[in-house]
Amino acid sequence: MRIPPHDPQVRMRNNESQSAALPLTSTTWTTMLRTTLIAFLLASAAYAETPSFTVGWSIYAGWTPYHYLMKSGILRKWADKYQVAIKVKRFDYAPSLDAFVAKNIDACTMTNMEALDMPAASGVPTTAIIIGDYSNGNDALLVRNGVQFKDLAGKKVLLVQKTVSEYLFDRAMTINGLRDQIKRVRLINTSDADIASAYISDTSVTGTVTWKPMVSQIGKQKGVVNLFNSSQIPGEILDLTVVRTDVLARPEGQRFAKALTGAWYEMMAQMSGPNADKVLTAIAEGSSDTLASYKEQLSTTKMFYTAQSAAQFGASPELQQKMALVRQFCYEHGLLGANTKSVDDVAIQYPDGKVQGKPDKVRLRFTVEYMQAAAQGKL
Amino acid sequence: MAAGSFLMHAKPGRFSSTMLSWILFATGIGLYFYTAQARHHENPDDRVTPTLAQMVKGITEAAVKPAEDDEPLADNAPLTQRLLASMLWKDTKATARRFVYSLALLVPAVLLGLHMGLFPYAGAFFLRFVLFFDKIVALSLLPILFIAFGIDELSKIMLIVIGVAPTIILDTFNLSRGVPGEQLVKAFTLGARDFDVAYRVVMKQILPRVLNSLRLNLKAVMLFLFAGEMIASTEGLAYRISLLRRHMAMDVIIPYVLWVALLLFVVDLSMRLLNRKLHPWFHEA
Repeated sequence: MRIPPHDPQVRMRNNESQSAALPLTSTTWTTMLRTTLIAFLLASAAYAETPSFTVGWSIYAGWTPYHYLMKSGILRKWADKYQVAIKVKRFDYAPSLDAFVAKNIDACTMTNMEALDMPAASGVPTTAIIIGDYSNGNDALLVRNGVQFKDLAGKKVLLVQKTVSEYLFDRAMTINGLRDQIKRVRLINTSDADIASAYISDTSVTGTVTWKPMVSQIGKQKGVVNLFNSSQIPGEILDLTVVRTDVLARPEGQRFAKALTGAWYEMMAQMSGPNADKVLTAIAEGSSDTLASYKEQLSTTKMFYTAQSAAQFGASPELQQKMALVRQFCYEHGLLGANTKSVDDVAIQYPDGKVQGKPDKVRLRFTVEYMQAAAQGKL
Repeated sequence: MAAGSFLMHAKPGRFSSTMLSWILFATGIGLYFYTAQARHHENPDDRVTPTLAQMVKGITEAAVKPAEDDEPLADNAPLTQRLLASMLWKDTKATARRFVYSLALLVPAVLLGLHMGLFPYAGAFFLRFVLFFDKIVALSLLPILFIAFGIDELSKIMLIVIGVAPTIILDTFNLSRGVPGEQLVKAFTLGARDFDVAYRVVMKQILPRVLNSLRLNLKAVMLFLFAGEMIASTEGLAYRISLLRRHMAMDVIIPYVLWVALLLFVVDLSMRLLNRKLHPWFHEA
């Protein structure tokens, strides 16, 4: 970026270097102090003109597009249109949630479950503005030695506990009528960084629940079978872009949400358009991945390529049914906090105005406002 | 008061040195609760900086209630039974067991270092390899550890042993080399055999320093133990912390961290006392 000559920061720097060359008498100190102060005021005035927002993302098939969004200049174009500055920052998943809860960043990518049990349950009201995709096979329960669901009791299963992996496991057992056996399975909390090597190298472990790319890596092993995956519970593991509700309450925050949504769907159109391969390659680079591998991950990710389809899903009663399952799971596993006495204490509001839980405790909101505007070309 | 009284010749009184030593604690605690209060004022559901009441409640529940995957106790169970079945006790037991096993496995490391220092062939055989091995970051070799030791207890204990043993070996080696050669010659002329010299002359002298070195490595032991528990486990203090972190239950995490600090302090103190008891003649640190 070229810095225009009238930029106050540049002026400040010049002044500093000049005074640094002089012997530091008390007058130069005062001058320096004064110029610095003026420059600082000017800089903060300029800062106030273009409010700045930060989006945090982590590596996942449905979120890696953020890397391309920034690199390709699409985001910049939209940010300029709405007179905001948008920074995009990559995190590891858990730290990105921490940063969002600590209010260090304004928007973040996360699943519907984490949106509920991290920021929302920690009293940081959160609004989902973009429903990017849902996991349609990305998360899976893998087993070896031809083990069936009924044999799982007493066996070891590696997973990252208290995440969508455990949710998937819970749902898989419930759907197969083995809900009462869940407690008899020996779940071993294993960090996602080591889960593939741990499962592959220790054959005494029967099963694992994890997500792609680990699923692909483990699935290649001889004798490992995909027993259950998220395509059997479509729409329950959603990948969202969420914004703090208090950010959206400010006019510049709304401009930020509009710019982000506009940019997102311009990119989605490119990802599914005629030049898709070129775009997908650039996106894959964002996670040091190859086009083939990224396409393989996308094949089990149900992307909402159009704002229309995403808004439709967001406004459907289906979303409310799925979220009811998720919030019940979160509550039963204590993820809403030990002090949360009822599942209704962390309420969710939907685009049609319906609220799950106590209306005065709405912490998570789903809105289709921005996606709809994008669909109607109003952004 | 003259400025000079704050310099090297200063002699702070009993009262003022006690007061001074607590200032940073008081500041830290004060700052914490100030922040906690401010954050709670702004957001009553804040979980990042729990208040004192929340932490007390959190740790009391951890100390009298079983972990959520365990069978709940009968309502009328006596307190001792409650404490013994609690999450905190279960985690402490699991972590302590791993800790004790790994400390026990460090004893051979001391003996190896001693032999390397005294027996030239042992030194020639082991020294270069141990020096090399000492520089290996064990944590980055986890997949290999999993293949060799599985993902159960053994791999966690071996992670600690592999991480800490080389330091202990090399330290013992240096200490035993530091014993003046004249003493060895003297012992031999008085009719001692090789192993008498090794165990009754050299070992006896360096043991207090070896204990000190073990003591200083407690933190490293604990770090490796925590790393291991965070990777794959079903119980343990670090396991619980990493699990609670998923939903930011800082009201339990902070007391857990303080509990770990207290336990480490107690182990450290008892090793120091043991050292003083065993070697009253030793006056160093």
